Amino acid sequence: MIIHLWSYLYKHVFRFWIKWILRQLTGKCELQRICDGSKKSAERTLKIEHSLESSKNKVLQSAVHAPEDEVKKYVALIMKEKKIDIQKDTGFSLKLQMCLLQITGYKKLYLDVEDLRKCQYNSCNEGHEKQLIELWNLLMPHEKLKARITKQWCDIGFQGDDPKTDFRGMGMLGLVNLLYFSKHYTHEARQILTRSNNPKLGYSYAIVGINLTEMAYSLLKNGALKTYFYNLVPSVAQMDHFHRFYCYLAYEFDKFWFEEEPESIMYFNQYREKFHEIIKRRLQDYDVVLAL
Amino acid sequence: MGLLSILKKMRQKERELRLLMLGLDNAGKTTILKKFNGDEIDTISPTLGFNIKTLEHRGFKLNIWDVGGQTSLRSYWKNYFESTDGLIWVVDSADRQRLEDCKRELQSLLVEERLAGATLIIFANKQDLPGALSPSAIQEALDLDSIQTHHWCIQGCSAYTGENLLAGIDWLLDDIASRIFTAD
Repeated sequence: MIIHLWSYLYKHVFRFWIKWILRQLTGKCELQRICDGSKKSAERTLKIEHSLESSKNKVLQSAVHAPEDEVKKYVALIMKEKKIDIQKDTGFSLKLQMCLLQITGYKKLYLDVEDLRKCQYNSCNEGHEKQLIELWNLLMPHEKLKARITKQWCDIGFQGDDPKTDFRGMGMLGLVNLLYFSKHYTHEARQILTRSNNPKLGYSYAIVGINLTEMAYSLLKNGALKTYFYNLVPSVAQMDHFHRFYCYLAYEFDKFWFEEEPESIMYFNQYREKFHEIIKRRLQDYDVVLAL
Repeated sequence: MGLLSILKKMRQKERELRLLMLGLDNAGKTTILKKFNGDEIDTISPTLGFNIKTLEHRGFKLNIWDVGGQTSLRSYWKNYFESTDGLIWVVDSADRQRLEDCKRELQSLLVEERLAGATLIIFANKQDLPGALSPSAIQEALDLDSIQTHHWCIQGCSAYTGENLLAGIDWLLDDIASRIFTAD
């Protein structure tokens, strides 16, 4: 109750007055103080984002949803609203612009990822079929696929003789991630596939991959991936960067699984949650850099 | 009073039931579980291992075990048989090709001693899909009428829309309750 009251008062009363007093003392608005006080990293962008979102000013509020080609316009508008003199603070507009590109880029990326996830795998779509076959060829270069519907799919960790149904919840996003890893980190992907066939600690390579896509997707959706993207990409994040995060998860999960030595595959969900917690903790660090 | 009967009494008091949900992969087991629990159902990945959810329904505490259905996991199913009150067998009504598989797996469960006392509900799932077989067609394909060992019932449903899930679970609970809670 007291906490609720305090946060209400802070949000609606104190925050305004604290900002007003600081503004009088320093001659700078909150956005300027953030840019001066924090180094170029996720910390700055996250603070700018929070400041804009909690602003009562409509221009500042809508800036975080600006399309990429209007970011410059919004920077100018914000400077005008906040009466910031470009001569007095020359670095400010560039810093703000970079932050805004990152903030709006993240939101746009989520929409793109969501579109790809909603795109269902369709056996009648030649492009989809081609990508599925390409996945096989990359992972199993020495073995030919005997038919489109075959038990061989189980060899790379799908559930049955047609992978189509395994993509249900993650749609094409699941396939594109698996394919990206095999294409850009072919050696690692094959190595992990071989390890996943371990008779004691084995797991279903493709199904685990789809589960990790779900993990990456949910981290993107709830905003936990912001630190990763804001540190990695100095402007607009692209789909490629998301796929790379998936690759990181695939590589790290395999390592984690063999270190933990689970009793059997039946405990997968418990270990997945444990791994999820580890990744969430890493992402809470402002300076996080996750790379394969 | 033996330990077993004390445990039985405690269980009666708590009205706690153990339900085991099985079926081939992609039948919709996890979707049924999530839908029944009121969770989002559009981002479900294939289940490796199992999910367990405990929920309250009509004064019962239900422990629902949802175990992955892919071929390589079926040998683990037996680890989850112990003290099962109700077996929920989920069928993808639109997957005509694997009905034989489905029938064989179900029959192998019904001869299991540790499932002998369990009530069986068959969910003919995915009734929302065009091309889905009707519950009576599934009943015939799985030769359900030959089942003598268990109380059973087939219920057409759609985990996607939620249609008839409740009706099926309610029948299951009524049957279990009439067996174990009114015994003494």
